[in-house]
Amino acid sequence: MTQQLDLSDIQGNVIKAYGRYNFQKARYLFLRIDDGEKGRKFIGAITTKVTSALPWGKPGDGSAPPIPQATTNVAFTFNGLQALEIPTASQRGFPEDFIMGMAKRKDILGDDGPSDPANWDKVWKEKVHVWISINGQSIDAVKKRYDWIQEQIEASNGGVVLLTGHRGEKGEDSLPYQDASVLYDATGMPVPKEHFGYTDGIGDPVFEGQTNVAARVLGRGKLMRDGTWLPLATGEFLLGHVDEAMEYPKTAPSPWLLAHNGTFMVYRKLHENVGTFNRFLDEQSQIFDGSKEMLAAKFAGRWRDNGAPVVHAPDDVGKAEWDRRYAAADDAGKKKMLTDFTYNEDIHGAKCPFSAHLRRINPRGSLEFGVSNAYDTPGALVNRRRILRRGLPYGEVKDPARDDGNHGIIFMALNADIQRQFEFVQQQWINYANDFKEGNDKEVLLGNHDANNPGKVVLAAEPGSGKPPHFVSNIPRLVETRGGDYFFIPSITALKLIAGGIVDPT
Amino acid sequence: MATKSGNATALTVLSPIKNGILNQVSFADITRERCLRLPIHEKSPLSKVPNTYLARLFILDDVYYESLPANDKVFNFSDITSLFSDSARKKALPRKDHLKSKYLVFSSSFYGDLDEYLRGMWDNWSYVDHEGNQRDVRHIWEYCVAFDRVTDSAGFIHYIKRCQLDASLFFNGSTDDSLQDQLKALYLKQEFTRFAVEHQGKGAAEIQQAFKAFIERAQPENLASPTWPPGKSTP
Amino acid sequence: MSNIAGKAYAMNVITPIRWYMTWINKLIFKTALSNPSTLKGLVTLSLIHYARWVIIPRDGFPRLDPSQPKEELNYSYMLFFSNFNGSWDQYVDSFTFAIPSGLDLFWKWNVRYPKSVPLTPFHNYIRHNQIDTAHYYNAYPMASSNDVKSAQKIKKALINFNTASADKPPEEFLNDYNKLLNDMQHHFGDMKPTPIVSLSADAVRKRYLQIPE
Repeated sequence: MTQQLDLSDIQGNVIKAYGRYNFQKARYLFLRIDDGEKGRKFIGAITTKVTSALPWGKPGDGSAPPIPQATTNVAFTFNGLQALEIPTASQRGFPEDFIMGMAKRKDILGDDGPSDPANWDKVWKEKVHVWISINGQSIDAVKKRYDWIQEQIEASNGGVVLLTGHRGEKGEDSLPYQDASVLYDATGMPVPKEHFGYTDGIGDPVFEGQTNVAARVLGRGKLMRDGTWLPLATGEFLLGHVDEAMEYPKTAPSPWLLAHNGTFMVYRKLHENVGTFNRFLDEQSQIFDGSKEMLAAKFAGRWRDNGAPVVHAPDDVGKAEWDRRYAAADDAGKKKMLTDFTYNEDIHGAKCPFSAHLRRINPRGSLEFGVSNAYDTPGALVNRRRILRRGLPYGEVKDPARDDGNHGIIFMALNADIQRQFEFVQQQWINYANDFKEGNDKEVLLGNHDANNPGKVVLAAEPGSGKPPHFVSNIPRLVETRGGDYFFIPSITALKLIAGGIVDPT
Repeated sequence: MATKSGNATALTVLSPIKNGILNQVSFADITRERCLRLPIHEKSPLSKVPNTYLARLFILDDVYYESLPANDKVFNFSDITSLFSDSARKKALPRKDHLKSKYLVFSSSFYGDLDEYLRGMWDNWSYVDHEGNQRDVRHIWEYCVAFDRVTDSAGFIHYIKRCQLDASLFFNGSTDDSLQDQLKALYLKQEFTRFAVEHQGKGAAEIQQAFKAFIERAQPENLASPTWPPGKSTP
Repeated sequence: MSNIAGKAYAMNVITPIRWYMTWINKLIFKTALSNPSTLKGLVTLSLIHYARWVIIPRDGFPRLDPSQPKEELNYSYMLFFSNFNGSWDQYVDSFTFAIPSGLDLFWKWNVRYPKSVPLTPFHNYIRHNQIDTAHYYNAYPMASSNDVKSAQKIKKALINFNTASADKPPEEFLNDYNKLLNDMQHHFGDMKPTPIVSLSADAVRKRYLQIPE
């Protein structure tokens, strides 16, 4: 029998990327708990508004809950769970990465130089215990839910403190929340883009138990030997479920109910150096045999305007053809064109470079390097390294020639094992490339490029063509970490246990 | 013999350490501390031993008892008999083994001939220990059984060979070039990559001229220099 | 102590094997040697510099002097030494899921070997039988096995190119030079220090080298 998930128990942000449901605005709050009992009471109150993963019905459809104006989700740092006084035996079951928190993992993550925790928003110098997210269909809906949360904070009578210290739009550095928003085009229409102009959020992993899997699994699940795609094991993304190693994730704390249907979240505020990016792209495209947009696409693995995969649209001519086919396709066909591809037709990276963001974070079957049946399954090196990506852009680019200001991405990665999934991808595949046989060459966009010893990447040419590859060199640091931490997103049942003070691993 | 793969050799040495105590510390623990305290990377004595690709030292104190659940036979007859007899169940548990000596384990993957390699160890193994004393290879093997009879390189070669174990399978996932060759190649890879990046898009004559200067400087066929020193750990 | 030297990780595993079963393992190793396709997965993974399997018969521990007590053992022992890129905790998944049957083939006859999947019992089995390295030396801490192999290709190609093309007229030179770059395009990865794969190993390294923390 196929996996049936208890969607009413799983927090909604685990299953749904709210941005796809027209939630254009978000606000993230971070809190400190000063009193365990008052803190638990507060969490109990918040839990009443926590959004589950139940599917939403259309207006007038009585069988499913209607789509709300605002959602709310909650997660905790390790220190937060301690402050809420969960038993020591439960605390001990959490993995080392989560216990340490993100700042102490900076050497693993490459958060150095401008990304060093010393340069993060002030709020990260506070004791961050609780993360609360609000996603709204409008800023008013967000504000209304925010006001309600503030009422609960006040009602906690000093038990819970809303932390300040977020950088804002007007140079503030002590805001009590982090706002995020989709970007809008010139006509005011929302667009699925981030500040560098790339189309974002295509092709999140698909796993067992999600709805409508068959239609979405192409290019997003795990690649099988016969070329078909299957959903990844649930346990890659949810504790208490069997994972790709045919076992329950060992990162789960006890008791079972505390872990089951929960997961870990990596929250990162990533500042985008827009001015540097634009200058770098302009300069580099002067010496590149192709358009500026083509070069930008080679960095990411997708074209900026519509997300066309570079492997199927490898140059300006190929892109024009792809666009024609895309325009003629129906909705299902369009989705397929965006996600259904492998790199097996491009095993040398002459179309989509090994260094492209997309290929680095999900190499699909390509780490067999074209050797037939080298591994047990083509995705052997990939299926244990996938992450669910959530989040939205924040801030506004007022001057595209400047880096300063407050604009970037609130990046959230969800996975069952931070070290094995997120940290591995960040370290081994973004900031290093031995698995791609590219030595220390970092990914262009997200790599922690060192100003004193800048790196390069090689954009391969067609093998045997006699043409030299293109080197993109002197890559500056385009993205800087401005804060973040590791959080545990409990199930709604577990939230009630924590709030009730009745977690017992005996 | 599986101990060689082309020109690469897998040397596996288990030298028994004398059972005994000096100044209240066992010979094995003294030996272990000497290994632990060896300087690393460029300063490791192994960086001076010609043709060492990768090598390690540790003390084998004992073998492990397999207190692990498993199903490691084709058919576990004892699974059935154990149902009826507790002694059958106990008999099916792994046996307990213990070593009577502790062993200094030295494992090296190197290029070339064993005798020559061992002579290189005897002649070149030198380092300054953490207390500032100059040491040679005898310092590590000092408390091994019968090592006091070793007085010269011939004796060392003979001794190590008595401690040597054959590999059943030696997997070479790298190359079997001489270490000098490997290091020169790494140097060239780094330098030529830099050259290629710096001269991208330049004119034919300019690249050609620069290339000749590059060859002059990098001397691809001169293995001795310029090159990477063994154990080089920073750019 | 550290199992890490630059980009390489030293693994030492010692596992008991019933003495009357060692011949099977030896046969498997022999087959692997004569039939390279059995190691195809390992070669494609390309994470290993050098690795070896050594079987010590139960009466085969070196005995150098009558004063040394003779070992009396129930089992023979298999030693596995590997030099691979990355840390064991990081790369256990890659090995397990790439070549599960290969791992099972080599360890199957070892006492209480659990099989490679599910992963945790396998990981625990290796950890249980692993001996940490006291001193680990790597001649090229900044190079992975891939880098060493790439470097060899570049060196050969460079020497050949220099001989054949260095003195050609500029346009022909450039043509050959571009071809050289094309042939070598997958071997141009930078070599810099390893990313820090273990915070504890890095702390130990800094103390050895007396780098202030």
